[in-house]
Amino acid sequence: MPAAIALEGVTLVRRTQEELHYDLKRSALRLLSGRLSRVRRRTVLEDVSVRIEHGEKVGIIGPNGSGKSTLLKIIAGVLVPSRGRVSVDGSLSALIELGVGFDPELSLVDNIVYYGVLLGHSEELVRGRIEEILEFAELVDHRNEPTKILSSGMAARLSFAIATEFRPEVLLVDEVLSVGDERFRRKCQARIDRFWDEHSTIVLVSHDMLTVARTCNRVIWIEEGRVRFDGPAQRAADLYMSTIPSASSFRKGDELVELAEKNPRGEVLVRGTSGDLQLYLIRGGRRHWISSPAWCRQHGYEGADVVIVDDEVIKQVATGDVLS
Amino acid sequence: MSAVLDAPQPRLPSQSAWQRRIELVRLSAVRQLRSRYRGSALGVLWSFANPVLLTMMYTLLFGSAFASSYGGSTTRYVVSAFVAVVVVTFFLQATSEALVSVVANGGLLNKIAIDPETFPFASVAANAFQQALTTFPAMLIVSLVITHDPVRVILVPIVLAAVVAMAAGFGIALAALYVFFRDLSYLWAVMGFLLWMTSPVFYPAALVPESIRAYLVVNPVAISIAAVREVTIDRGPLDAGTIGLFIAVAAGFAILGHLLFRGLRREFMDLL
Repeated sequence: MPAAIALEGVTLVRRTQEELHYDLKRSALRLLSGRLSRVRRRTVLEDVSVRIEHGEKVGIIGPNGSGKSTLLKIIAGVLVPSRGRVSVDGSLSALIELGVGFDPELSLVDNIVYYGVLLGHSEELVRGRIEEILEFAELVDHRNEPTKILSSGMAARLSFAIATEFRPEVLLVDEVLSVGDERFRRKCQARIDRFWDEHSTIVLVSHDMLTVARTCNRVIWIEEGRVRFDGPAQRAADLYMSTIPSASSFRKGDELVELAEKNPRGEVLVRGTSGDLQLYLIRGGRRHWISSPAWCRQHGYEGADVVIVDDEVIKQVATGDVLS
Repeated sequence: MSAVLDAPQPRLPSQSAWQRRIELVRLSAVRQLRSRYRGSALGVLWSFANPVLLTMMYTLLFGSAFASSYGGSTTRYVVSAFVAVVVVTFFLQATSEALVSVVANGGLLNKIAIDPETFPFASVAANAFQQALTTFPAMLIVSLVITHDPVRVILVPIVLAAVVAMAAGFGIALAALYVFFRDLSYLWAVMGFLLWMTSPVFYPAALVPESIRAYLVVNPVAISIAAVREVTIDRGPLDAGTIGLFIAVAAGFAILGHLLFRGLRREFMDLL
């Protein structure tokens, strides 16, 4: 039996975005002045070989910019490897945020058909499932209205409903999607859990080591475009925690981190300085990577620079308050 | 080094890769038409009103001045201007919509494995479909009434298909180049104006000095107009050479555009 997903020696070299010849005028001027610089390229993935069997639940983890989302795009066929080969056995679907792509002038039904077909299903199949999709998104009453009337939350519900309506043999998930209010989020989670139970092959990309360790039985750890570890989830988790960058890599709340590390009972959440919503939990002097953007939203940490977690009591405080 | 292979497209047992491609182009074209005409009562008829209004204007302004070149007949000026206006407006509209289409759908291309050709082809297909409901049948009628020549009437759809193929070739090439040169849209707007002005749309081709006329052969719109006029309003023995050459040139542009797109495609996914 062929593997569900097989990557052999996949290397991807991409142009870097900073050296764009974004217009003709500038390119022509450069050409005239003989300064036509060579395009800069960067190796995003290097010689990645992975074989995933049918029914496996695989988590892909790694720091930001390590190439893990790129790897998912290669498997999905969005990006073509510069070298090496990719093969996928069976129907493939990626759980993705469609919201940005909805045509605001089209009715909900037309958008459902369009995206269903873009996702790889036949028009006939999609038309037969319109009711189920609208029902899951709880938008039945708006079926013939233009999509622009939807709030962003409603649009997110619709895109989740479309993306998850058709059960594929191979499912790719980039971060666990959770949309809408608390009640709808639970509904989404239940649906994702069902995919897990139904023995699909699942590849999940996540920052959230806990989610990956809990839901996947195998972890592929990508760093700087290479496979650093490929094996049982628990071993990967332990290894991963031990390599998380030291306190000195944070500018904000540096002293706070120090404070927490000295205090064996202190628990401190610190937002990473890379600008996104990665939070680290320092508990008992050890650093844990515990969070994903979804996790932060769920627990109300969004926008907090520093959060003190004191057993069950969670309070958000400004950096100065803690230090004084 | 192992062979470079295309990544797999999501496949379904009931659909071949070609069926899927065609279905995607069709649906994307329908999407464009739907959102363009949503809330417009006249809908697709606008594509008829536009060339008719332009032709009326040209006739009012230049009809009597150029009548002598059309055997003193205003009717001949009207149909001659009309078929040219249809060709030039279709070509410019289709290519300028195709130009932005890949960049405009960059977000989608970064998330779902779709043939990027889908979008420029859909732009051309949407415009061609619109004309196929309105102005293209009108040309067939013009040909029937004016030429009384069954051979010419049969050639009308073939020549129009070649015009569409050429627009697709230009559209797909422009769409790929626009990824790299984001000021190409301005340049193409200027080019469009030049193509329009250097094509004998509202003035007789014979008016252009002989020495300059030779250069205008490079204008794809001008050669399209010449071929369309040959099958819709010209009388006498059919100039098969003009038609044959035009079809060959149109096919050439279509293939070149496609090759250019294929060549740049790998690179441009990094810039979307």
